[in-house]
Amino acid sequence: MAGNFWQSSHHQQWILDKQDLIRDRQHDLGILSEEEYQKIFNFFASIIQVLGEQLKLRQQVIATATVYFKRFYARNSLKCIDPLLLAPTCVFLASKVEEFGVISNSRLITTCQTVIKNKFSYAYGQQEFPYRTNHILECEFYLLENLDCCLIVYQPYRPLLLFVQDIGQDDQLLTYAWRIVNDSLRTDVSLLYPPYQIAIAALHIACVMLGKENHKPWFAELNVDMDKIQEIVRSIINLYEMWKSYDEKKEIQPLLVKMPKPKPAPQR
Amino acid sequence: MEEPILRYEKIDFLGEGQFATVYKARDVKTDKIVAVKKIKIGSRVEAQDGINRTALREIKLLQELQHINLIGLLDVFGQKSNVSLVFDFMDTDLEIIVKDNNIVLTPANVKAYMIMTLKGLEYLHQNWILHRDLKPNNLLINREGILKIGDFGLAKAFGSPTRINTHQVVTRWYRSPELLFGARQYGTGVDMWAIGCILAELLLRVPFLPGESDLDQLSRIFQVFGTPNEETWPGMKNLTDYVQFKIFPPQQLRHIFSAAGDDLIQLMESLLALYPPSRCDCTQALQMPYFSNKPAPSIGSKLPMPSNLSKIETDKPSLKRKLLESIDGGSLAKRLQF
Repeated sequence: MAGNFWQSSHHQQWILDKQDLIRDRQHDLGILSEEEYQKIFNFFASIIQVLGEQLKLRQQVIATATVYFKRFYARNSLKCIDPLLLAPTCVFLASKVEEFGVISNSRLITTCQTVIKNKFSYAYGQQEFPYRTNHILECEFYLLENLDCCLIVYQPYRPLLLFVQDIGQDDQLLTYAWRIVNDSLRTDVSLLYPPYQIAIAALHIACVMLGKENHKPWFAELNVDMDKIQEIVRSIINLYEMWKSYDEKKEIQPLLVKMPKPKPAPQR
Repeated sequence: MEEPILRYEKIDFLGEGQFATVYKARDVKTDKIVAVKKIKIGSRVEAQDGINRTALREIKLLQELQHINLIGLLDVFGQKSNVSLVFDFMDTDLEIIVKDNNIVLTPANVKAYMIMTLKGLEYLHQNWILHRDLKPNNLLINREGILKIGDFGLAKAFGSPTRINTHQVVTRWYRSPELLFGARQYGTGVDMWAIGCILAELLLRVPFLPGESDLDQLSRIFQVFGTPNEETWPGMKNLTDYVQFKIFPPQQLRHIFSAAGDDLIQLMESLLALYPPSRCDCTQALQMPYFSNKPAPSIGSKLPMPSNLSKIETDKPSLKRKLLESIDGGSLAKRLQF
C-alpha cells in the first residue's frame, strides 16, 4: 500500500529496538550461538525465496513473506512453530495480502514438496515435506495473531527506485542495490530500521562496490542519520563476510538438528 | 487473543450479509458495546483458502487507518477456522435514516452528513485507498451523531498505473458512468460519484438513479445529465463496454432539486460530472461555498435518530416508572405531597 509510512503500523509498532530483540531471543540463543541462529534464518529465507520464485510471485510478495517470518520469531522461540511450516504459511498469507493472484493450498503444498526434494535435499535428505493444508490453515491464524494483525509491510524497493532516479538513472547501480536489498532480508535490518534507510544503505554499498566516486556529493547532501546507515551497512557486510567462509550444504544439517523444536504431540 | 469467546458477550443479532453475520456484543473487558462481524466460512473449497480474503482486506487496511469518520477495528479473533472482526458499535446507518418517514432531514442535517462523509473519504484517498462500495447503507451513524464510513471489504489501494482493476464494484445505483462502461483504470472519481448520488438521495429521500440493469443505469444517468459525446468525454468510446446511447439533452439540476440552493447545486454538479477528470475530489468539495454558507451543519447531538431507537430511550424509562409505581404503590405521589 502506498499510504503514509510514518503513520503506519510498520513504523509505529514494528521498528524494534535492538536490545529488546536480543532479550527476546535469549531462549534460542541459549541453545544456538548468534552465528548459528543467523545461519538458520539465512536458510529459511532461501526456502521462502525459492518457494516464491517457483510460485512465480513478485519480489515484493517474497520480501513481505520474509518479514512476516522474521517478525514472528522476533517474539517467539523457534520451538513455538517449526520454521519449515511457518515459511510456506508466510508465503501464503503474503500473497493474499499483496493481492497478486491466488495460490491454491494444494499448489502450495505440492510446490513445497518438490522444492524440499529437489533444492534442499542437502538439508532434509530423503525426508519429505511433512505438512498438509490443515497445518497451514491453523498456522495462518497463529501468524496473523502474532503479527498483531499488522499486515502491510513497507519495503525498500520503492524508495530505492526513487533514489536511483534522483541520482541520475543508472541501471547497473540499481541492479546491484536491488540485489543488496534482497540480501538484506537475511539480516535483522528489516526489523530494526525503516525501509528508506535500508535503501540508502544498499545504494551506499553498491556505489562502493562499483567504485562510483561521482555519487559522493549526493550522499553528502542527504539529510539522514548517517550513523544508522552505517549500522545497516555493517549488518549487510557482516552477512557477506559470513558467506565467504560458510558452506551451507555441509553445515546446515547439524544446525537443523540442534535447533530448538516443538515438543512432539503426546502419544495417545 | 485471550479467550475471545468469553470476552465478547452476544447481546443481539444485527444482520447478515453475503460474507458475514454481525452481532451486537458487550466487551466484558472494557464494558463497551461493540459489533462482532463473524466471517462465514463458505464452501469447502473456500475453506481451503484459509482466512477469508475480504476479511483480510478489512484487517490490513483498517489496521493502518485511524480517523473519526472511519469505522474503527478494535480486535480480531479466531476460533477454529473462523475469523471474527470487532468494530465500533454503530446504532444506525444513513439508509435507515433516509427511509424513515418520521425523520425530517433539514438542510443543516444534510450538510453535517456530507461533511463527515467527505472528511472520512478525504483521509482514505490521501492514503491512496479507494472505498469502491459507498452507499447509504455503508455510512454508519452512532448515538452521538458521528458518521463513520464502514465496510472495507472492497476497498483497495490505487494509483499504480499498471494495475488492472475490476469494474464490478460499487452497488449499481451508486456506480459511476466510467465503471458502467467497463473502465479498468479508475481513481477517486468512482467514490466521488457515489457521494453525489448519496447527496441527491438525502434530498429526494428515495434513490436518485435506481437502475434496473447496467444499461438502464447508464440510460437514467444520461437522461439527467445528457448523453456525453467525444467532445464532453474524450476517450469514452475506447472503454471496453462502451455502447452508443440515444442522445438525451441535459436537464437542469435545479429543476429536479427545487428546494436546493445554488451552492448545493454547484457541489452536486461537481460531484456528478460525467467526465471523470472533471469531478471534484474531497478536498475541493469541502472548500466549496456550500460548506461555508449558512446554515451551519448540525452538531452531532442535534442529528435525528430513527424512531425505533429513540423509542427505546423514551419508552424504557417510562415502562420502568410504571413498574416502579405498581410496586411502590404510589409512594411517588406521597413524596410529592410534602
